[in-house]
Amino acid sequence: MASQVKPVPEAALSAESRSIAVARPRRVTTWIGLPVALILLFGSVMIGTMVGAVPISARTVFAILTGRHLASLQSEELILLQVRLPRVLTAGVIGAALSIAGVLFQGLFRNPMADPYVLGTSGGAALGAAMGIFLFPHSSILGFSAAASLAFVGSLVTITCVYALARVGGKTPTVPLLLAGLAISVVLSEASSALLYLRDEVSWSARSLALWLSGSIAAVSWTQLLLAGGMLLLGGVLSIPLRSVLNALVLGEEYAQQLGFSIEFARVAIIVVASLLTSSAVLLGGVIGFVGLLVPHVVRLIVGPEHGRLLLFSALCGASYLIIADSFARTVIAPSELPVGILTAFLGGPLLLYLLRRTKREYAL
Amino acid sequence: MKPLLSVRNVSYAYGPRFVFQDVSFDLFPTDTIALMGANGAGKTTLLKICAGLLAPHNGEVLYLDKPLSSYKRREIARSIALVPQEVQVTFDFTVQQFVEQGRTPHLSSLFGTLQDNDRRAISRAMECADVTHLAYRNFNELSGGERQRVKIALAIAQEPRLLLLDEPTQHLDIGRQAEVFAVLRRLNESGIAVVAAVHDLQSALAHFPTGMLITPGLPLLSGPTAEVLNPSAVRQAFGVALPGTAAGLDVSPLGVAVNGS
Repeated sequence: MASQVKPVPEAALSAESRSIAVARPRRVTTWIGLPVALILLFGSVMIGTMVGAVPISARTVFAILTGRHLASLQSEELILLQVRLPRVLTAGVIGAALSIAGVLFQGLFRNPMADPYVLGTSGGAALGAAMGIFLFPHSSILGFSAAASLAFVGSLVTITCVYALARVGGKTPTVPLLLAGLAISVVLSEASSALLYLRDEVSWSARSLALWLSGSIAAVSWTQLLLAGGMLLLGGVLSIPLRSVLNALVLGEEYAQQLGFSIEFARVAIIVVASLLTSSAVLLGGVIGFVGLLVPHVVRLIVGPEHGRLLLFSALCGASYLIIADSFARTVIAPSELPVGILTAFLGGPLLLYLLRRTKREYAL
Repeated sequence: MKPLLSVRNVSYAYGPRFVFQDVSFDLFPTDTIALMGANGAGKTTLLKICAGLLAPHNGEVLYLDKPLSSYKRREIARSIALVPQEVQVTFDFTVQQFVEQGRTPHLSSLFGTLQDNDRRAISRAMECADVTHLAYRNFNELSGGERQRVKIALAIAQEPRLLLLDEPTQHLDIGRQAEVFAVLRRLNESGIAVVAAVHDLQSALAHFPTGMLITPGLPLLSGPTAEVLNPSAVRQAFGVALPGTAAGLDVSPLGVAVNGS
């Protein structure tokens, strides 16, 4: 291979190329960032398990988690292990899954506005949930309500349809893909609203659908959590080898192809992994907005756009973020609860605006 | 000497309209070729076919005597690099991160981590294209000349045997053009074949010993640049008459100056 290139003769260096070299940008390195992100995650889990109708002190949480069974703490132990910990971990799984899916879709579509629901997942999930609520209000599958299960199915079916519709002559260009996703999502969302009018006892059903669509993390059992956690783990592991194609895609699809990638294969792989993650989040918590859009943005501003780091830190920070948001959702208007989607928007919007203002130069996407 | 790349009777059409038909030529490892032709004559298309990004409708392209289509995409990317005309970088990649992408076809691990030899190749490439001092600049904040050299650095990091460039000096002032040509000359001296689509005929004459001229409806002309650019061929290709001599196009004093820099 012709790699022995000659050094540059001094004379060839122009005035322009003599311009001042810029120092390494002050971005958080992995060795500092990783412990910080892990501490943040641990802190959020602690907060999430401590707050609630019955406050539990940090010391008690530690005592219970390290396996010390004290007779005086029986009720706390029950609350912690059966209610609070599963709920906190569920929030973590959803947050991580949505954030990874957000990174994947933003990278694939080369568009920082893409979110995990960009291919119509939310519309499909809404219709599925509506059907579950109206048709089988009292049945469940593997502990998941019919609404959650049908939403899961609905989101997967929608993505498959969107992909099939956008595929022309063996190619799936990104703009038709986005448009098909938008169109189908709108149609399905409206269809689920239309379902509301077909029923008499609108109030209860409408309320539970609305709650579901703003995203709410219901109480889950350990089995359910294990299932969704498994999907997160699978999606997370599968997204690691996608790192290099996502980095190449920053330069454009044609460049990625020139660098040796099959774009069609990469596109399918990214969509499949991201859909798996989004659907697992839908299964656990309905449509929770803003997490998958916001977290990759904020993390990108802090650790830079390289996708290996971006995936890792988005997963960790996304988990922490949703755990904190859900802790608020449970406590601000206790004893009732806010849908967590409202909190993610209220906390996240100002944070993103602050970070955008703080980065001095024009935000180059 | 065996050709590096052989283009045999290649035709390409967008829809029913043929861009060019029956194009044939050989590229040798020592070549530096200027690819010339009017807008829409198919220079970019031909470069993409040579890089294996487009499949020709008729004819075939051979790389080292084997059809280009029989190679894996990654294998082609290790041997042929294409520097496109425009690039849109979505996120805030630094120059360093941009050039690192050139190692992609060489990475073996599943995680895509750079090894020592990759790092060496990257710093060599950045040195050769004179962009080392730009390493931590944001790609989107570079000037046109800097961007062009950074794109070339990425291509060098691929360690190709054939470098294809699509109008590498477009929108550049003559000083920045001279820098790009200096980089190309160094690459060619280190054994990389260079083919560049060039609009400026004077630059072609000054910097490229061999020229190829595509004219729609006529066979591809190739040979010493000065002979290829004879007045009648130029008139047929571009539809205008240029002041010329019997031996070819006039090299203006400006062209000579650029050559000497």
